[in-house]
Amino acid sequence: MARPMSPITESLTPIAKGLAVTLRHLVTMLRTRSKAKFTVEYPEERREQYPRTRWRHYLTRYENGLEKCIGCSLCAGACPARCIYVEAADNTDTERYSPGERYAIRYEINMLRCVFCGYCQEACPTGAIVLRKEFELADYDRSDFLYTKQMLLEPMSVLVRPKPKPSVQPEAA
Amino acid sequence: MASDLVNITINGTPLQVPAGEMIIESARRIGVEIPHFCYHPRLSKEAGANCRMCLVEVASPRKNPDGSVTLAKMPKPQTSCSLPAGEGMVIETETPAIIEARRGILEFLLINHPLDCPICDRGGECPLQNNTLHYGPPTTRYVEEKRHLPKAFPLSEHVVLDRERCIHCARCTRFAEDIAGDAQLGFLKRGADMEVSVRTGEQFTSLFSGNTIELCPVGALLSRSYRFRGRPWDLMTQKSICTECSNGCNIKLDHRAGRFVRVNARLNEDVNEEWTCDRGKFGMDYLSGPDRLTTPLVRRGNRFEAVGWDEAIRRVAEELGQAGRKSAFLGGIRSSNEDLFVMQRLFREVLGSSDLDHRVGPSFDAEPVIGVGQGQVARAPMSLVELEGLSLFISFGCDMAWEQPMAYLRVRKGWRRGALTIASVARHGTAEDERPSSLAPISAVRVRHDEGGELQVALRLLGEVLRQGGDGTAVPAELAAKAESAVTEQGADAEAVRRLALTLFEAGKGASDGRSVAVWIGEAARTNRQLPDILQTLSAALSAAGVHGVVQVPAMEVNEQGARDLGIAPTWLPGYEQADPAGRNSAEILAAVAQGDIAALWISGLDLATRYSDPAAAVRALESCPFLVVTDLSLTKTAQMADVVLPVTSVAERNGTYTNVEGRVQRFWKAYDPPAGVRQEWRIAAQIAARLGTEIHYASSREVLADIAARVPLYAGCGPDALGDGGVRWASALAGEVGR
Repeated sequence: MARPMSPITESLTPIAKGLAVTLRHLVTMLRTRSKAKFTVEYPEERREQYPRTRWRHYLTRYENGLEKCIGCSLCAGACPARCIYVEAADNTDTERYSPGERYAIRYEINMLRCVFCGYCQEACPTGAIVLRKEFELADYDRSDFLYTKQMLLEPMSVLVRPKPKPSVQPEAA
Repeated sequence: MASDLVNITINGTPLQVPAGEMIIESARRIGVEIPHFCYHPRLSKEAGANCRMCLVEVASPRKNPDGSVTLAKMPKPQTSCSLPAGEGMVIETETPAIIEARRGILEFLLINHPLDCPICDRGGECPLQNNTLHYGPPTTRYVEEKRHLPKAFPLSEHVVLDRERCIHCARCTRFAEDIAGDAQLGFLKRGADMEVSVRTGEQFTSLFSGNTIELCPVGALLSRSYRFRGRPWDLMTQKSICTECSNGCNIKLDHRAGRFVRVNARLNEDVNEEWTCDRGKFGMDYLSGPDRLTTPLVRRGNRFEAVGWDEAIRRVAEELGQAGRKSAFLGGIRSSNEDLFVMQRLFREVLGSSDLDHRVGPSFDAEPVIGVGQGQVARAPMSLVELEGLSLFISFGCDMAWEQPMAYLRVRKGWRRGALTIASVARHGTAEDERPSSLAPISAVRVRHDEGGELQVALRLLGEVLRQGGDGTAVPAELAAKAESAVTEQGADAEAVRRLALTLFEAGKGASDGRSVAVWIGEAARTNRQLPDILQTLSAALSAAGVHGVVQVPAMEVNEQGARDLGIAPTWLPGYEQADPAGRNSAEILAAVAQGDIAALWISGLDLATRYSDPAAAVRALESCPFLVVTDLSLTKTAQMADVVLPVTSVAERNGTYTNVEGRVQRFWKAYDPPAGVRQEWRIAAQIAARLGTEIHYASSREVLADIAARVPLYAGCGPDALGDGGVRWASALAGEVGR
């Protein structure tokens, strides 16, 4: 049966053990003169992300400004978290949002539920929904995590040719 | 019968099937699924076999010259939907050649199909999509230009046609011709240019057009109201009952995010088979209408004020309690059986009033069914299946396709089989003569009379029947004299009525003493309150002469039959037991209201101010009513005149039962939560009773139904455990028949 340690020994032993590890690394560093650094000064500095990183969703546009999304709800069908809600409506000649007959009048993603699996992107027949590398999604209010179509839709300014050409699209299938 | 059976082998499994049965049906017996598009068990097979999807390989026994029998394989695959089973046939459905043939057919069908599944409303529940996934080629080799036509061509206010997607299976055209009988759809042009079309300048006005949307195996025929409202995987489905007429079609109610989306038919062989009518399929949008009431309203001067339930119920209880016997109830034809039962208990047991009536407007006080024989079963309304087997159906001022759509389809089905003769009595210029869906074109006898001439026709018919051998012993002398003089009178319809009388005797001759003749009195003929008496006399005279029939005033609103059965009537209690003392009917109640003899009136689910036969009189009476309670879904014209308006749950928001036109008690289930601030009618009635010091305690609508079954002998066989999905006809339950 071991004798109980005195309180002083009990608290000093782990500290000495930990400092020994630090000391060992310090000695190694000094001996090899290495400049290797493992942390970055976030948020001033950022690491480059892996090519297939999946974070914030965007609804993309064609070059002429029309939305790629046709409101087919296949993303919602594929979503394992059931976090996508789509409502569709008819395009008219005077009010055209996407080529063809149908567009999404409502498109919502509940980011609190999303597991960023990327199935929606995989299911999308027009390549409208994509997951990009923007990962800073924290917010203060739960309701702010309900991303609406306006929040998800790519701004026109990112397009090469910013001028939209509504109503000249053929009624393609 | 054994002699009609033949032995066949499908995929190595031997089985016996009726001779002549199509192989596609035989295969289904042993669970072998043969893919198909144009085949449908309820549509005619003659025009079928045009999609070529259901190919199978067949070998039949052949006798050689030397007397030996060998199996001879047909050189080419056959369409199993048009191949009748014969003795010794050997069928293979999964050979390499068949798999290859199916792939070829699908590739061929997809040549002109636009493959715009992502934006097609059918996508997700599309037979073409499913079959292509299971049997089709994974990619396309077709690189040429596809057929292009304008999208979403409107055929009518309900149906759009996308001609690019059509695969020319002819299901819709065969339905229009065989089942609905209006034959409004047909094929135009040939080959790749072929398209489904209505006649130039015409609309697809059939009352059954919605069925073609469900029948279409691709997304060619689509609903306008459901267009882009959701994909099948977005929707939740609940079993329900259509509320648009008394036929009580079983429906699948699709909803999304707590809102009604669409109606599809639910199979019930005894009621609607697998059909719906357009009234129901496109008429249920009110469930999520923008005008739904969500809070009780109390009148303060000229305005309504939204109040809480406690206050509303306290107010109603106070006023009803003060009125006591001087309170009355009208309507209830859209409430569930549970609502009605508790409501009549409130009025009869708590308030001591007998002034209840569900019959308002064009409906007589007569008994709803004037049958032959004794007892309640003989007095039961005719079943829909029974209609098919009649030998004569007389529509008396009844616009069948509109008023009784499923009964219309049954009568038509009987007529197509050849055993059923149809006679139609209606006034000149009736909607029936104009509309494509109608019994008029297939009626053997058509009597047309002037406005208000129903009575004359009935008298004339009675006279003719008496002349031609009807038994006049039971006919009052005065009536007989009237009838005799009616026959001798000149009139345009004299000849037609004579033929009708002859047809009656003809129909009765072949039949045993079952119910072989039915007379249905429609809305147009109901204004005449003497008519049922004359028809009753007529029925008795014919019955004595060996012609047995039923004269029926079929229910028109969703639970009108339930209101009859459960005694929302001044002269009878639940189960048609004599009420003592008898109360006043709707006309007398309104008159009493106008005279100040009734202190509190409750109107349920009924816009009396527009629906009463004399709307102006109804408005006058309601204006003078000291206290008016209205329970409804929205603020109708009647509700606007009320002192208290109580919002109630819709069919999609609660459990309950309705009784349809044939007396079938059918359940419906809650699909989604009601809006906050809306209550079930029976709970409101029970709460008011509690305030007045009488406990009417039920925990759920199931308990109410169990109590109805326990207390009303008529509904003894219709308790909550007996109903199942398809409902029970109380008449069949009483007669000890099971499963009908």
